[in-house]
Amino acid sequence: MKNIIKVERAKLSMTQQDLADLISVSRQTINSIEAGKYVPSTVLALKIARVFNVSMELIFELEEGD
Amino acid sequence: MKEKSILTVPLLSPSWKKVAFLFFPLPVILVIGMAVVQMEIDPNQGAEIIYGFWAIGFAMLNLTKEKDEDEMIKSFRLQAFQTGSYWMIWGLGAIMLINYYRFENISSEMFSAYLVLFLLNGYIYGAFQYQKYMASKDIK
Repeated sequence: MKNIIKVERAKLSMTQQDLADLISVSRQTINSIEAGKYVPSTVLALKIARVFNVSMELIFELEEGD
Repeated sequence: MKEKSILTVPLLSPSWKKVAFLFFPLPVILVIGMAVVQMEIDPNQGAEIIYGFWAIGFAMLNLTKEKDEDEMIKSFRLQAFQTGSYWMIWGLGAIMLINYYRFENISSEMFSAYLVLFLLNGYIYGAFQYQKYMASKDIK
């Protein structure tokens, strides 16, 4: 699953740690999600979308094979 | 699905990791001590003491919270228990096969509960650490 978290973070000049603190996860988790190594749960994906004030579908996109 | 309380696995606080690590050198010292004071123990008994302590050590490590116990870590832990069980099944199968070819006996005294618990907890710990390593690799 692809995502544009890094782009959305850059728009708000937000670090991985800032985002991690806002949604109560570790920086390592944010890094893994951004790198596509870890697919977050629906709850966490909704929390991320809420931080950027956009819909979940805008941040996350299914890839071929998902 | 909301987790039923009967299915909840309580985890220890991170400070228990220090206690868990004590269980690794302790049995070795104990067995050496027993040999020094010439307590007559069977070599198998010595091995069982070591396996037992190491099983407890690994079990404590597996059931101790990480500093940031978030959903990724929780999913790693679940996967580790599944993978650990899988490795143990195949590992034990392999040992049984080797044992059969060496001694022509499929059941042996070498398969004790202590050994199985040590292997299972060791595999779970290995699978958990491997996932954490893979997640932290190439961290930006």
